[in-house]
Amino acid sequence: MMAELAFLFGVTRKLLGGLPLTIELVTLSVATGALLAVAMALARSASRIAAVLVSFYVFVFRGSPLLLQMFFIYYGLGQFAAVRDSFAWPALRDPTFCAILSLALNTAAYTSEILRGGLASVPSGAIEAGRAVGMSRVMLLRRVVLPLAIRQALPAYSNELIAMVKSTSLASIVTLMEVSGIAYALVSETYRAIEVLSCAGAIYLVLIVLLTRGVWLVETWLSPAGSRA
Amino acid sequence: MAVASGEQGVTSGSATEAAKPVVIEAIGVEKKFGANKVLRGVSLAAREGEVVSIVGASGSGKSTLLRCFPLLEIPDAGDVAIAGEVLALVERGGRRLPRDIGQVQRVRSELGFVFQSFNLWPHRTVLGNVVEAPVHVQKRPRAECVAEAEALLEKVGLADKRDAWPAQLSGGQQQRAAIARALAMRPKALLFDEPTSALDPELVGEVLRVIRGLAEEGRTMLIVTHEMSFAAEVSTRAVFLDAGIVGEEGPPEQIFRHPQTDRCRAFVSRHLARG
Amino acid sequence: MGNALRLVGFGPTGWGGTLLEGAAMTLALSVCAYLLGLAIGALCAWGRLSGGRAVRAMIDVYTTVLRGVPDLLVIYLFYFGGGQMIGAIAHLFGATGFFGLNGFMVGTIAIGLVTGAYQTEVLRGGYLAIPRGEIEAARAIGMGRLLMLRRIIAPRALRFALPGMGNVWQQVLKESALVSVTGLAELMRQVNVASGSTQLPFDFTIAGFALYLALTTVSGGVFMGVERRVAHGERMARKQRA
Repeated sequence: MMAELAFLFGVTRKLLGGLPLTIELVTLSVATGALLAVAMALARSASRIAAVLVSFYVFVFRGSPLLLQMFFIYYGLGQFAAVRDSFAWPALRDPTFCAILSLALNTAAYTSEILRGGLASVPSGAIEAGRAVGMSRVMLLRRVVLPLAIRQALPAYSNELIAMVKSTSLASIVTLMEVSGIAYALVSETYRAIEVLSCAGAIYLVLIVLLTRGVWLVETWLSPAGSRA
Repeated sequence: MAVASGEQGVTSGSATEAAKPVVIEAIGVEKKFGANKVLRGVSLAAREGEVVSIVGASGSGKSTLLRCFPLLEIPDAGDVAIAGEVLALVERGGRRLPRDIGQVQRVRSELGFVFQSFNLWPHRTVLGNVVEAPVHVQKRPRAECVAEAEALLEKVGLADKRDAWPAQLSGGQQQRAAIARALAMRPKALLFDEPTSALDPELVGEVLRVIRGLAEEGRTMLIVTHEMSFAAEVSTRAVFLDAGIVGEEGPPEQIFRHPQTDRCRAFVSRHLARG
Repeated sequence: MGNALRLVGFGPTGWGGTLLEGAAMTLALSVCAYLLGLAIGALCAWGRLSGGRAVRAMIDVYTTVLRGVPDLLVIYLFYFGGGQMIGAIAHLFGATGFFGLNGFMVGTIAIGLVTGAYQTEVLRGGYLAIPRGEIEAARAIGMGRLLMLRRIIAPRALRFALPGMGNVWQQVLKESALVSVTGLAELMRQVNVASGSTQLPFDFTIAGFALYLALTTVSGGVFMGVERRVAHGERMARKQRA
């Protein structure tokens, strides 16, 4: 029994060694993805050609597996000598960069759809009232449209953040030693898959519970009682 | 029409009325939506202190006309002017657009617009709605705006609701908050777009009371409304819009009691009888 | 480029057939996993709605855990852990060595369990969206529990749950790619193998994108068609009432 507990404790400690990398993957890709999504939302409203391109991008990235996208960026692009000779090659050869890039591109597609839904939900009367008091376009966006859109989109975005935490486990397939990568290595080393994977699962679960809690706090902070209707 | 208004003018002191400056003016405004010509050349002016009610059947273009003043709709032809300043429009790519959006935004901040559907910002408290534009558009000091907003909420009977959210208010309370929001701009003129049409009958009275109080203060107001007896009571002048043109214009006694045109008479008898 | 086309194509040296077989495997795996998830989801939704406190708590734990753990780990758990369990049993009978479950079974069970958690929420939401008056009306005309379930509750809940069910299907299709880690010859795995042996990963991932997009788009269209049909029936009914 003691030996069993000691084993689980040791496994968990080793797995936690991958947590910083997991968190790094989540934060960098979510931040980049959010910026990309906002840029795409703006581009969508700016020009019709951009709108078509963005729609195609969203279609491709939402309609195919993340693993394939990661594979494409990590292996696929390196097929061409031109890419291998280019300035981007040191980055594209780096699995961490490729993992972050593909996670970011993936979440950007989903986030831009969430953002679009949020923007569509802003009542036209609230916008008109802003125009009627003489707000500029930028002020209207900052003071009326975005606060209302973000509040509406937050529950869906919270789900997307959870999905992103889980998706970082795919980085282990391109050799990264984040929590799942270490778990895989420990399974091959100890042959005790159930114990190792349960510990790894628990780490993700805690991470996601904390994240959900955090988003919930933001949500209640943004929409105080009674303003939800 | 000219005779009638002249007659009325004598009793209410036409000399001083005429001397007062025009605050808000439409000059030959035309507007069509698709093939539907809603406004077919409307000219209308309100001098300082005038309360002009605009009545007419639904679809006669009343609301569209009102929305043209702050350029929430852009007239296809004709102009609007606020305090003598014409809002410059230019033709660009087959569409008419403001020449200077900064001018439009400044002029909008000098008018108070009250919507049929209130249009309070759901993410701000009542007080937040009232101070939003003075603080962020007019860039006045926050403390001053809050003090003024509290006085305005007191005036519309919502002093105890300053920290409530719009969704927690009844329709009548929301509309009174929206009126306070419009007043907070220290507007040169107040524009009311059917302010009681979206309200349950028992809530209409509280909103009309507030508007009546504002009329008695001598504010310049344009009111689009279906409440004929109210319009007859508060306005200093009434305009009957008929299929996109001014059908008849004059003192309320004329429009609502002794219309000169057949169409106005038919409209008034139909509506006053019902109301 | 001509060479690449030949390799991705259907000729004697082409991988086209292999990729299509992979796509068929992806589809078969997805359908099995989806059906398993649907069965689990329906059972859990029912338990969540009408079960006792202990049942509800257990279902909550299941949905929370399976929605909070990466699918890849769940797949590993059944791939390696399933072997571990079978191995333990085999050891009792004197057998030695490493045992593994077949990739298709691992994938079906793992993805079925994961999506069952999502499906539970979707179906529960569908039931809760039924206006209470409709159920009351069924009760008022003397419908029994089973009849009511069959004639009123199931069709109505399905109508509200359909969009969510469509989303879960898309999720299953995309997640099935993870089963490639078990070596199962589904689409992602075949893209991987073809890329490796031809040294043309770009061409084969593009082909992979095309096939996955075809799968998600066509099946998405099917779901939308069903949804429209259900909604259309309702519209017609509304018109007749008017």
